[in-house]
Amino acid sequence: MRKIILFLLVIITMLPFLSYGQGKVITGTVRDAGGILPGATVTEKGVAGNGSITDSKGKFRLVLKGSSNILIVKFVGYSTIEYHIGNKSEDIDITLASNNQGLDEIVVIGYGKTTRITSTGSVSTVSAADIRTVPTANVQNALAGKLPGFFSQQSSGQPGKDASDFFIRGVSSLNANGNKPLIIVDDIEYTYDQLQQINVNEIETISILKDASTTAIYGIKGANGVLVVTTRRGKSGKPQVNLRTESGLQSPTKTPRFLDAYQSALLINQAQANDGVPQEFTQSDLDLFKSGNDPYGHPNVDWYNKIFSKFTYQVNTNLDISGGTGQLKYFISGGALVQNGLLRDFPDPRGQVDNGYNFNRYNFRSNLDLKANKNLDLRLDVTTRFSGLNSPNESAASALSEIYDFTKQTPFTAPFLNPDGSYAYAYSRFNSAHLPTLNARIATGGYQNSKRTDYNVLFNITQRLSFITEGLSVTGRVAYASTEQFTRGTGNYDQIPSYHYDPVSKTTTKNPTGGYVFPSQYYSGNINIYTTNVNTQLFANYDRSFRKSHVTGLVLLTQSAQTFDANPFLDPNLVGVPAKFRGISIKGGYDYAGKYLVDINAAYNGTDRFAANHRYGWFPAIGVGYNISKEKFFHDALPVFGLVKIRGSYGLVGSDVAPGNKYIYAQNYVKGGGYNFGTSFTGIDTYYEGALSNANVVWEKQREMDLGLDINMLKDNSLSLTIDYFHNIRYDQLITPNNIPEVLGVDLPAINLGRTQNQGFDGQIGYHSHIGNVQFGTNLVFSYAKNKVLFMSEASPSYPWLARTGQPINQPFGYHSLGYYTTADVAAINAYQSTHGSNAGNKAIAVPDNGEVIQPGDLKYQDLNGDGFINIFDQRAIGKPNLPNTTLGLNLQASYKGFSISVLFQGSFNYSFIVKGTGIEPFQSQFQPIHQQAWTSANAGNAQFPRLTTSSSSINSPSFFPSDYWLINAKYVRLKTVDIGYQFPSKMLPWHLNNARLYLSAYNLFTWNNYNKYQQDPEITSNTAGDAYINQRVVNVGLQLGF
Amino acid sequence: MKNHITKILLITLAGTALICGCRKSETFPVDKVTDYFVFNPLDSAGDAAHGYLYQIYAIVKNGHNRVAGDYLDAASDDAVSSKSGTVQVRLMATNGVNSFTFPSGENFWEETVATGIPANSGTPSSYWAGIRAANTFITHIGAVPVKGQSPTGVPMRYVWQSEARFLRAYFYFELVKRYGGVPLLGDKVFALNDNVALPRSSFADCIKYIVNECDAIKDSLLSYPLVTPDADNYRPTKGAAMALKARALLFAASPLFNGGNIDAANPLTGYTDFQADRWTAAAKATQDVMNLNTYKLDNDYKDIFLTQNNSERIWIRPGSITTSVEGTNGPVGFAVGGTGNTSPTQELVNSFPMQNGLPITDPASGYNSSDPYATFTTPKRDPRLTANIFYNGSMWLNTTVQTFEGGQSKPNTNIQQTFTGYYMRKFMGLSENSTTLVQHSTDWVVFRYAEILLSFAEARNEEEGSPQDDVYKQLRDIRGRAGIDPGADNNYGLKPNMSKEEMREVIRNEWRTEFAFEEHRFFDIRRWKIAETVMNRPLTGISIIKIGSTLTYNPITVLNTAFVKKQYLYPIPYNEVAKNPNMKQNPGW
Repeated sequence: MRKIILFLLVIITMLPFLSYGQGKVITGTVRDAGGILPGATVTEKGVAGNGSITDSKGKFRLVLKGSSNILIVKFVGYSTIEYHIGNKSEDIDITLASNNQGLDEIVVIGYGKTTRITSTGSVSTVSAADIRTVPTANVQNALAGKLPGFFSQQSSGQPGKDASDFFIRGVSSLNANGNKPLIIVDDIEYTYDQLQQINVNEIETISILKDASTTAIYGIKGANGVLVVTTRRGKSGKPQVNLRTESGLQSPTKTPRFLDAYQSALLINQAQANDGVPQEFTQSDLDLFKSGNDPYGHPNVDWYNKIFSKFTYQVNTNLDISGGTGQLKYFISGGALVQNGLLRDFPDPRGQVDNGYNFNRYNFRSNLDLKANKNLDLRLDVTTRFSGLNSPNESAASALSEIYDFTKQTPFTAPFLNPDGSYAYAYSRFNSAHLPTLNARIATGGYQNSKRTDYNVLFNITQRLSFITEGLSVTGRVAYASTEQFTRGTGNYDQIPSYHYDPVSKTTTKNPTGGYVFPSQYYSGNINIYTTNVNTQLFANYDRSFRKSHVTGLVLLTQSAQTFDANPFLDPNLVGVPAKFRGISIKGGYDYAGKYLVDINAAYNGTDRFAANHRYGWFPAIGVGYNISKEKFFHDALPVFGLVKIRGSYGLVGSDVAPGNKYIYAQNYVKGGGYNFGTSFTGIDTYYEGALSNANVVWEKQREMDLGLDINMLKDNSLSLTIDYFHNIRYDQLITPNNIPEVLGVDLPAINLGRTQNQGFDGQIGYHSHIGNVQFGTNLVFSYAKNKVLFMSEASPSYPWLARTGQPINQPFGYHSLGYYTTADVAAINAYQSTHGSNAGNKAIAVPDNGEVIQPGDLKYQDLNGDGFINIFDQRAIGKPNLPNTTLGLNLQASYKGFSISVLFQGSFNYSFIVKGTGIEPFQSQFQPIHQQAWTSANAGNAQFPRLTTSSSSINSPSFFPSDYWLINAKYVRLKTVDIGYQFPSKMLPWHLNNARLYLSAYNLFTWNNYNKYQQDPEITSNTAGDAYINQRVVNVGLQLGF
Repeated sequence: MKNHITKILLITLAGTALICGCRKSETFPVDKVTDYFVFNPLDSAGDAAHGYLYQIYAIVKNGHNRVAGDYLDAASDDAVSSKSGTVQVRLMATNGVNSFTFPSGENFWEETVATGIPANSGTPSSYWAGIRAANTFITHIGAVPVKGQSPTGVPMRYVWQSEARFLRAYFYFELVKRYGGVPLLGDKVFALNDNVALPRSSFADCIKYIVNECDAIKDSLLSYPLVTPDADNYRPTKGAAMALKARALLFAASPLFNGGNIDAANPLTGYTDFQADRWTAAAKATQDVMNLNTYKLDNDYKDIFLTQNNSERIWIRPGSITTSVEGTNGPVGFAVGGTGNTSPTQELVNSFPMQNGLPITDPASGYNSSDPYATFTTPKRDPRLTANIFYNGSMWLNTTVQTFEGGQSKPNTNIQQTFTGYYMRKFMGLSENSTTLVQHSTDWVVFRYAEILLSFAEARNEEEGSPQDDVYKQLRDIRGRAGIDPGADNNYGLKPNMSKEEMREVIRNEWRTEFAFEEHRFFDIRRWKIAETVMNRPLTGISIIKIGSTLTYNPITVLNTAFVKKQYLYPIPYNEVAKNPNMKQNPGW
């Protein structure tokens, strides 16, 4: 470190020495954040034609001819920079910042590439180099805030299970599984699950395809948008080795705080006093809790801190080698990731198993390109990933949910260990199961370990047919992907021994639910993932320029067969039955001088999910673009614009995800349980009618319209803007009708009925410039997508506010809070009831109709139908769906010589959630600071929480009475990623190193949100306790070496 | 160039082979069962078709702890649930339900708790599913050439078809007694695109339909004695069809529907007029069953529920051979288990007369309030009290049941225990004097002969100006079997020459004592329209204080019930009314 500082000082002191030199020979290296950059163009400013291209080691050599003493360095996908040479001439290090808004930026789309200037569709791209240093195991976690139109939610931070859910342009389908984007890696379909196993180091680019023009080629699978990943490939040149190793500290983004024994006991007494039942704790109990003088009779244990540590570490190492000769190019990489969990180490006294949370993953990839002869290319990509996911036996103890769960244990329930070292158990009336303490159950409850292997092979053969016509080629491709996972778990057959220690008599008593010795253990294991996917493709490609015209064309035949293990959405009988897909796609593009652009895409494809005569459909789309900045009049009038392109697309795409039974078209009779009849009560096989079939079932369809504007302006196109407006109608959605009476007497199938609208806009504004050698850039990414249910075959509700139609998908419904019942309210209710017999018809003040008696301080809700009762008929739309409809990302970066900094703020807005159950409800949740703000007659004016009560079904329960009192209209902003790096100057590099970069990176560093009722992370799934494994903040140090 | 053409051909061939080469395997899962398999025109054994019929039988409910762990009668004035928290029967007894939250255990329309608005909840076990399945079976079974015939010469497939028609009629009746008139679907099996937004048929039409169906099928069903009772004892027989008809007509003649319609001019909720001859029809229907001379009262009251194929049973829903009734309802505090779900009320206990047949309110009865169960003194209580209820001093598992405060079965700790000082005894095995529980059949007796006799007595009493001897005779038979002393006048404690009103009260009390916990009381207080009285006063129990050997009996209130007029009928489920514009909700809901 001292060396670095020294070096820094040296550089700074050298700054003023500027000199001019003609004929000076300049040598140096061009890099980006990820390493050296072969193929970058280096030219001298002011001297046309004096330039050089960096070699395979990123090096260049240039003889200066002019007097500007400035180099212009360009590379596709990066901001062009002007480098002030100063008085240096050797070992100049130039670092380029990536910029996805460049004119020639290559944009990966389905089965091909285009550029920002010629694209008619709506595509967002991020270069993997930009996200490679984000310290997360999952590529989708690193994309939040980076891509316009990308919406994500990370609901767990557990090692190995922390991948975000993501959606492109929000959600459109009422069919819960029908919103997942198609994931395409090197033109082959992946599952969500497989994507999260990919090592970011292997990735070249990530694009999301958002409109019909770009997704129509996927036809029946394209309606949810497509995430396209390409992997890195070798480039001609000497072998280049890159080694990147990093290790980080993980800690929770938000640590829940619970009250101690004394404070909890006070609140328990308070609740019992409210309910008019005897109080649990005497004053002497309270004193002992407070003083801590009786640690065994009156324990006070901070379970969270006893169970979880504050930090844990993760390590990630990657090594890759790439290069190539004339015939063979290669990219070969290996990676290892180890993520540990926050659980403290509670060794099994039997010393047998690892019962912590941890995850490790090993990735290997070999991408080979062989040029067999002038016209024939072969390609073989082999990838495999091995991973191991370990956790305590979750059925015995799910650590975080039990920390919250008041009914399992409390701060005053038991000591951490008894004085003799034996395990204690929950010795309290509130813990009716009298379980051994959590540390005891984690230590002895067994474990679960999943071993997973992913295999992928892709073989590709391309024959150029230039002898027929220039630009024509034909490609055949076979890809196979499979995943296997086996889980082994162990657990106790019976409760482990635990004891209660009585400090008065100094005796221990055995827990009656357990024995004296550790019980025997059971084993549970099964193959819980087994998927295969075979995909074959044959396509002809045409790409040729004639003077000013440029023509592209593609005809693609593809088919695939996928088999799945049991997954919760599939009829278990369908395990191993292949799901087949087949189709033909065509694509044609024409542009005239890069000015007038037309793209036509269409797919004719189908799956065997549907009946033979309803299997295939056409999915056409057209995209047009007009590059007005290429018109002479425009350029003359407004030379400040480098690019002004308006574009639009319109088309039809589909989604073949059918809920439940895959074969909806076929009527099915179910073999029922063997019912027992007769004197001897013998089992007899039975049959009953399964859900009705729907012979006409077809895919969901989406009409997509997209209007876009691309602008680059100012000098060097330093300011760029892309904005898209979209309007989609998803129709023929597969939903179970809600308006067919039960008199029918049988389950209904999904029918093509639902219809929703989704519209919004997304885009980005980037500005990249430099002041001297200080380069800086900023990029603002914004996405907004708002959907609305147009038709969901809803039964006509008795009151208009109950209607779901017209609301967004997954709109929460609940009661509207009017504050708290006052003493006067309760008196008025009693008066009304004594004259009328019940509260029926009391228009002034309503009460719940579930028999719970109202007291002052209970939550008062609006009685929408005025019948005197609060019940389901008074629920109306409250808040917003759980998935944010607005996300923003603001990326700021700057670099000076070898130093670089990049920060990303990411925010999500316009969403709602409710925490319930063990997350917040007294006597289900541990007592939390908010409970101290509960309503009492003394603080009625500024209560932050309703009256505490021991009743679980009172009107104060968000589980029974969801309401806008409990609902948070949430927003948050995160300092999502930070990357501070230092690129060592070439001349400092020893041995054969050509690149060395030291960096500090962080993930989820700070979070700002707008609520204080709950302690949960803002990316919580609504209507849960929010007790999933807490999302992690990671601070990471890494070193990257190239040679 | 030629070289190139070969290449192109090769590539094309390879590609075509890739695309077309793989053989198709399992384009449709072969393990799926289709209707051709179920109703197979080649299957002379009809196994799969019979399996389909069994599934319809399985929809008939076994009443033991049926309503979310409680007996339905725990929602009447006979018992309360011992459970804490949200209990379905308690919500029903306290008017704590609405058309949306109506408890799943009694929601035979949807057979589930609706979780939201809107909801689609079809399950294969609702009574509408049963009606559909029966219609499917009735429509298709003709195609299956099942061999064999009944002893009366009916081809077996038509016996089965008649059984499906019986089940359909039974399901309709179970719906009608809860909801009033419901849509009558006929034999139609509705398809996806058919209009199912049907209006409700009138109550009168529904009863007529049920009665006509029973008449139509009774001679093509099996009849008692069964040739193979061990295998076929769950099958509806001619007697069952006639008993169903009798019960339907008795309900139809009862005040709630016959003259006391809660919505006087509404044909859906009952008859819009009163006709005395409805009682005549009910009496005739019961008389027809008696005239079969097939059934007779079992000599032992407890034995009715334990011994299979006994002479009193007319139709059952079979249950397994277990000790589950004891485990769920037996008194707490026993090593063999018993969670005491059902707490019978003091009101039920008081309805049992003395063994001399006189009600305990009669000063001549010899009732001793300091020994209310006549454990130590004589005269004893009606033996049916001991057969139905565990009270303090009952024998169980060779021990004396202690329900005094702090006693073995009322320890007043955290465990679930009786609210009333009583536990349910009915349906349990004869484990009074053994140390272990005896496994026994838990068949649910849907129809038994005593019901026919009491229905006859009730209908005849209402039919005539004053009770005739045929009314008295049925009561004497039932009481005699129960173990009531005949008395000097051989009248089993019945007052001679009672008025019609006096006799009505005696009959109603007999229903209560004889059929406790058998899902009669809950509906009886409705059809007699007395629920608004008996369910609007507190239900009570007893708190017994034991000091030394002295027991003090203190009445306690255990539940403040609430009953409003709309509760005489169940609400049509909210979602059903929302889905179907032709579906009229019941009054008040």
